[in-house]
Amino acid sequence: MTILYILDVPENVPVVKVAAQDTAVTVDKVGPYFAVASPATIVIDRRATGCRHAVWYSSVAGLAGARITQWDKDALRVEPR
Amino acid sequence: MTGLSHKAKGVDHAAFPTFDPAATVRFYRDVLGFPVVHSICAAGWGPEDHPDFIHFFFDIGNGDRIAFFYYFGLEPPAGGPQGDVYARFAADAPRFFIRSRHLAIHVDSDEDLTEYQRRLDGSEWPCTLRLQHETIESIYTDDPNGYMIEFTRALRPVTPQEDLDANLTIDALLDVVSGGNPSMDALLTRKAELIVERAADWEQRREAAQNEGAQRELTRS
Repeated sequence: MTILYILDVPENVPVVKVAAQDTAVTVDKVGPYFAVASPATIVIDRRATGCRHAVWYSSVAGLAGARITQWDKDALRVEPR
Repeated sequence: MTGLSHKAKGVDHAAFPTFDPAATVRFYRDVLGFPVVHSICAAGWGPEDHPDFIHFFFDIGNGDRIAFFYYFGLEPPAGGPQGDVYARFAADAPRFFIRSRHLAIHVDSDEDLTEYQRRLDGSEWPCTLRLQHETIESIYTDDPNGYMIEFTRALRPVTPQEDLDANLTIDALLDVVSGGNPSMDALLTRKAELIVERAADWEQRREAAQNEGAQRELTRS
């Protein structure tokens, strides 16, 4: 399972919302963090999130069973490790 | 949490050398409007090679101060082509590294940030950038000595979960640097473990601590 942890602050909410548009993705809460999970790769389109760059590039809090293979102005791609 | 009481009261002064006191006073006093609040005229009575100097201070708000040393007759030490008057770097030193050290002065509002931008833009030292970061908005310029000065305002208050997150980040960082071969990947993997260990019941622990505090207050009154 690929799990991406994202802190629940207003700036990060669009990142979680865009990730959740993938039907394979589930979103739970672990304390004040969103746990964005998928059995496969998670891809988040930056432009769809509307996040400014500083928010985008600091939105990931943790990775479990996963590694980031793309994190640029276009997308964040998190793949099973 | 270290359990140590926190008694510090902010910055008394942060001190920097200058070789151009006239421009430094123009920048801080005449452009920014920071009052001169203290100065020391000191004879170089200490070590034989210590020049006479003036140590002067500007109020940067909240009673905090930025201070300068001007040494009579001192030439800037040699160095590379990049940097400020205190630190010179070789041509191949990364710019992001050189630009990492800076002083950020807090303002309370968008209006105040814009006012300092207006003052700077009308001077010899215009703003080089205005940028919204994660939760702050900042303007930047270089003072006459090449020191990077930032003015910043909070876009919103910091939340308690951000304090938790900061502490988990630092604990994860200490773990990955002590493990050798530190990287962002290693940090985010370690931090995920700490989130599972410490974040799940954070809210309950926080509420319990707050209730305990409230109980203590009630007991005292």
